[in-house]
Amino acid sequence: MAGRGDDEHDPILDEAKSSERDMAPSAPPGTSIHRSGSRPQLDLSKAEIQGNFEERDPTILLPNQSDDISHLALDIGGSLIKLLYFSRHEDYSNDGDKRKKTIKERLGLSNGNLRSYPVLGGRLHFVKFETHKITECLDFIHSKQLHRRDPYPWSSKTLPLGTGVIKVTGGGAYKFADLFKERLGVSIDKEDEMHCLVSGANFLLKAIRHEAYTHMEAEKEFVQIDSNELYPYLLVNVGSGVSIIKVDGEGKFERVSGTNVGGGTYWGLGRLLTKCKSFDELLELSQKGDNSTIDMLVGDIYGGMDYSKIGLSASTIASSFGKAISENKELEDYRPEDISLSLLRMISYNIGQISYLNALRFGLKRIFFGGFFIRGHAYTMDTISFAVHFWSKGDMQAMFLRHEGFLGAMGAFMSYEKHGLDDLMSHQLVERFPMGAPYTGGNIHGPPLGDLNEKISWMEKFVRRGTEITAPVPMTPSKTTGLGGFDVPSSRGSALRSDASALNVGVLHLVPTLEVFPLLADPKMYEPNTIDLSDQGEREYWLKVLSEHLPDLVDTAVASEGGTEDAKRRGDAFARAFSAHLARLMEEPAAYGKLGLANLLELREECLREFQFVDAYRSIKLRENEASLAVLPDLLEELDSMSEEARLLTLIEGVLAANIFDWGSRACVDLYHKGTIIEIYRMSRNKMQRPWRVDDFDAFKERMLGSGGKQPHPHKRALLFVDNSGADVILGMLPLAREFLRRGTEVVLVANSLPALNDVTAMELPDIVAGAAKHCDILRRAAEMGGLLVDAMVNPGDGSKNDSTSAPLMVVENGCGSPCIDLRQVSSELAAAAKDADLVVLEGMGRALHTNFNAQFKCEALKLAMVKNQRLAEKLINGNIYDSVCRYEPPSVSEM
Amino acid sequence: MDPKNSRFSTQISHLALDIGGTLIKLVYFSPNGDNCEDGSIVVGNGCSVVQGRLCFAKFETRKIDDCLDFIRFNILQHSGVQHTNGTARDKLSVKATGGGAFKFADLFKEKLGIVFDKEDEMHSLVCGVNFLLKTVPREAFTYLDGQKEFVQIDHNDLYPYLLVNIGSGVSMIKVDGDGKYERISGTSLGGGTFLGLGKLLTKCKSFDELLELSHQGNNRVIDMLVGDIYGGTDYSKIGLSSTAIASSFGKAISDGKELEDYQPEDVARSLLRMISNNIGQIAYLNALRFGLKRIFFGGFFIRGLEYTMDTISVAVHFWSRGEAKAMFLRHEGFLGALGAFTSYKDQSHSTELKPHHHTVERAVLKCSDDDSFRHIPVTANVNDGEAIECSINLV
Repeated sequence: MAGRGDDEHDPILDEAKSSERDMAPSAPPGTSIHRSGSRPQLDLSKAEIQGNFEERDPTILLPNQSDDISHLALDIGGSLIKLLYFSRHEDYSNDGDKRKKTIKERLGLSNGNLRSYPVLGGRLHFVKFETHKITECLDFIHSKQLHRRDPYPWSSKTLPLGTGVIKVTGGGAYKFADLFKERLGVSIDKEDEMHCLVSGANFLLKAIRHEAYTHMEAEKEFVQIDSNELYPYLLVNVGSGVSIIKVDGEGKFERVSGTNVGGGTYWGLGRLLTKCKSFDELLELSQKGDNSTIDMLVGDIYGGMDYSKIGLSASTIASSFGKAISENKELEDYRPEDISLSLLRMISYNIGQISYLNALRFGLKRIFFGGFFIRGHAYTMDTISFAVHFWSKGDMQAMFLRHEGFLGAMGAFMSYEKHGLDDLMSHQLVERFPMGAPYTGGNIHGPPLGDLNEKISWMEKFVRRGTEITAPVPMTPSKTTGLGGFDVPSSRGSALRSDASALNVGVLHLVPTLEVFPLLADPKMYEPNTIDLSDQGEREYWLKVLSEHLPDLVDTAVASEGGTEDAKRRGDAFARAFSAHLARLMEEPAAYGKLGLANLLELREECLREFQFVDAYRSIKLRENEASLAVLPDLLEELDSMSEEARLLTLIEGVLAANIFDWGSRACVDLYHKGTIIEIYRMSRNKMQRPWRVDDFDAFKERMLGSGGKQPHPHKRALLFVDNSGADVILGMLPLAREFLRRGTEVVLVANSLPALNDVTAMELPDIVAGAAKHCDILRRAAEMGGLLVDAMVNPGDGSKNDSTSAPLMVVENGCGSPCIDLRQVSSELAAAAKDADLVVLEGMGRALHTNFNAQFKCEALKLAMVKNQRLAEKLINGNIYDSVCRYEPPSVSEM
Repeated sequence: MDPKNSRFSTQISHLALDIGGTLIKLVYFSPNGDNCEDGSIVVGNGCSVVQGRLCFAKFETRKIDDCLDFIRFNILQHSGVQHTNGTARDKLSVKATGGGAFKFADLFKEKLGIVFDKEDEMHSLVCGVNFLLKTVPREAFTYLDGQKEFVQIDHNDLYPYLLVNIGSGVSMIKVDGDGKYERISGTSLGGGTFLGLGKLLTKCKSFDELLELSHQGNNRVIDMLVGDIYGGTDYSKIGLSSTAIASSFGKAISDGKELEDYQPEDVARSLLRMISNNIGQIAYLNALRFGLKRIFFGGFFIRGLEYTMDTISVAVHFWSRGEAKAMFLRHEGFLGALGAFTSYKDQSHSTELKPHHHTVERAVLKCSDDDSFRHIPVTANVNDGEAIECSINLV
């Protein structure tokens, strides 16, 4: 496949396939995952940024990119063309990995395919063009040969010219049908506009977790919609005109109203009055406007007083443009900014009001606004929300959609038969924001850059244009002055993009193998993040932490690639890209949807991968694993000499102590310069003095050992979510695993699918276990039973058969590549492993504190971590840095 | 009370004003002809009935001086009130409503010696409409497809109804009875928007000029029609014909034309349709909320212009599928002023307009710019409302 030819004959990979155990230490463990993972590469040859580089959002065309792109759908409106196309993943399941197979068999998974429809893995890209520049759009389609694909996603065969059919909705489906036939040789399959809007909105609301949000007084708040309680709702699509649709269910809807005063009116009138060249320019003007110079306010009529009897404040607009009547001014005497704002308020407010009146007719409480007029513009949304809130006296909610402009195109896409999209659930979608996202704002034009060199030079060019793009712009909360009387919208004064408040729309990765972790007590109520980053103080702190940690990370990453010039260049580009993300988020926290620490950390890892730092901590991990394995026998011996009770305590202490090895923690990185691993581990364990800050050890001990001579039954299966490589897993978690195995409990080690910091991955664990098994029979037998040592220590007939009490040790990947874990999106493998589990052990800051600290499980849960951040310690447990958390929770009693 | 004094104050109280953001509306009583001193006829109970006419006049608010002159020369002098500078009697109280009753109170006191007795705007509007609908036959009419049709209103079946007053802005009031009403909605897209935007877009100087223009225009030049999007075909599935406006001014987006390239007539027409249609739609939606079948439209924006009325009627008809009817009032522009006028009756019965007892004989269609105004020194638009012949009771 183009773009990754270098990897094609990688001997290391071939070797890895044939013999997991013998994987050379120098092999990049991430590489094979990278290949079999979710990232098809783009062909960037001849990629060019079209147009002038001084433009805000240069078009990026990738003329030779053609792999795996299966089909597209368009929505051609009066003003804009919205295009949506799908690119397929490579076949996921064909990894030929014996170990995995064994585990799958063990867990009762049949070949990874849980569903009857073809697994639709891939990505959805969102692109838009101006309708009057339709040739650009045709060129785009042509260059990517999008129109010559079989319209069914699981087939990628090229169709002969003149036979293709593409789904198109919007008025342009009629108007431009001939043009498409002529230029591309494809027929247009016209899809009904309303139908597309509705099915697009239904899909997005059901499939994307934080698709909808409210916007009141400059505050965005994401709303989680329960897909079972979605209907009925009112959908207001504000395009050139406005359609108001009552939606009662899948395919059940009615256009109940509409208005001709819409986006086209704003733009059309605005153009005539201000000479603006584009919609965005007009919108930007409004940011600096003051509508009171041209609108007649209640105060103007009442001599500055309110008409309070009927609830009208002095700043309420009595008559839009009413002041232009009585003043002897010409058009030229008014500021275009004021005119634009006055228009914007007039139209937004009117739309809000008519929508409210229609919602009222049908007793609907929820109104979703979509369409390109809104385009995430804060003031527009505030005005609409205000109108709805005011007229409904707070009874109804105006909500907006992140993919607002793409509802119709999404719906047209949905209308292809048998795409399997209908069945997708929110947990199967992962949205990624490529490194260009902070620069292009909400304007996606062309697919993300994929080629490394192209990415780097893109970064460099952007940075050369000025420093303004990386400098965070402080936020000024906008104020309101009572009824409809907004002040002038706060001007962000940012040259970063045309509308500072635009939301990004990322690339949607469809990963049908993801599932909700079945042991969550209440998946609907589950919130992975412990710290609420919508709190400004918290947000600023964590963004700063990430920002400060960046130079170390870059050093480590560059060193991991041998410190070459190329690696340095990539390191620089990564630093710039990630800084830009941080700056963007500092300015607009909701830019990428609801912001949580888990997403932030994941974004960082994604960003590293984009610049092909596959595993920045690889050498550190290997070194620490080696050092830890060397001292493991001594530790095991020490443990075996203890009484059961003392041993259990020492094991937990050991887990907590070993958790100090964490390259994600600034404090710990400083520590490493002061001593060897084993020294730090011993020192750390010796300092473990009970009671810990959170100390449920006694309860846990009672569960394990019983009390009053009663022997409790051992756990059937324990899921151990491991954290870091080296001492953490080897001196902390493995001995604990061994203790469970010894009691006849099956143990499943749950580790990351992709590298993140120095976290151990599922790919690395078998080697580590094999290393540990050399010194311990318990681990060896269990690992053999669990299929971890398939080719090793061939001793058939030994092991499991003659020891009925022994339990297997297994490894599964969790489906993610972040130091945190969102348990709504885990691998199907893990979900299957969870079926028989009655204990979940979460270890480490990322998985037990930053996320899941408050998570409730259907089974017992043990959360173990050392707090390596002072602020978090204060906030979470009212303690200090290096305090320990041992939280044991019985199964959450559910009323269901 | 000094009878002489009483008479003066009585007569001055025959004037009421509605001072809006754009226009000042005046209603005053003009006694009939050359009867005895004040034309009063003594009826039983010591009450006197004066025959005469209610006259209507209006001024632009920005030319308030014209209005002051008009009152000074045509009303105060006629009534025998001589103190033009407010030196002698400061107690002359006149009913006034609208925002200007607050804003210009000092001016009237200073220039004319008139003290405003402020009446609530909505209250006045409603009183005015109720008065008209109950007492003036053939006041209300429908207008559809160029057909004007008077509607006979049954007094006992008048309520509830929706009153839509289109001034600079628009107020929508649900009326349940005499003095029983609620402002339920409104919109800032009103007459002021039409004129304000119209002035900016066409350089028209006045409302009438703009309306005249709109009459000759073609909105298809600048509005985006359903057919423009669908390549000339209807979107019949949802009942939109190809000539329906999809987006007002939407064609201006892509034409690459400047303002100067459009005919002012077409711009005015688009604007008028946009605003009329919007008002009609919001009015209908509000009527629907409360199950009101009748919607009365008033306010100076309409001013009997057929095209405006037609657009509003079509909007109401379209959205209500013929269920609701848009109705218009012949005295549409003077509702507030009339209401203020009728509120005199609340004052110790010194004056009472008695519409309920058939004191209003008939309403004449005669315009009032006849001899009684020949001597008006300033120009005032007095031919908009039709004079109502009536009588009022004096103590």
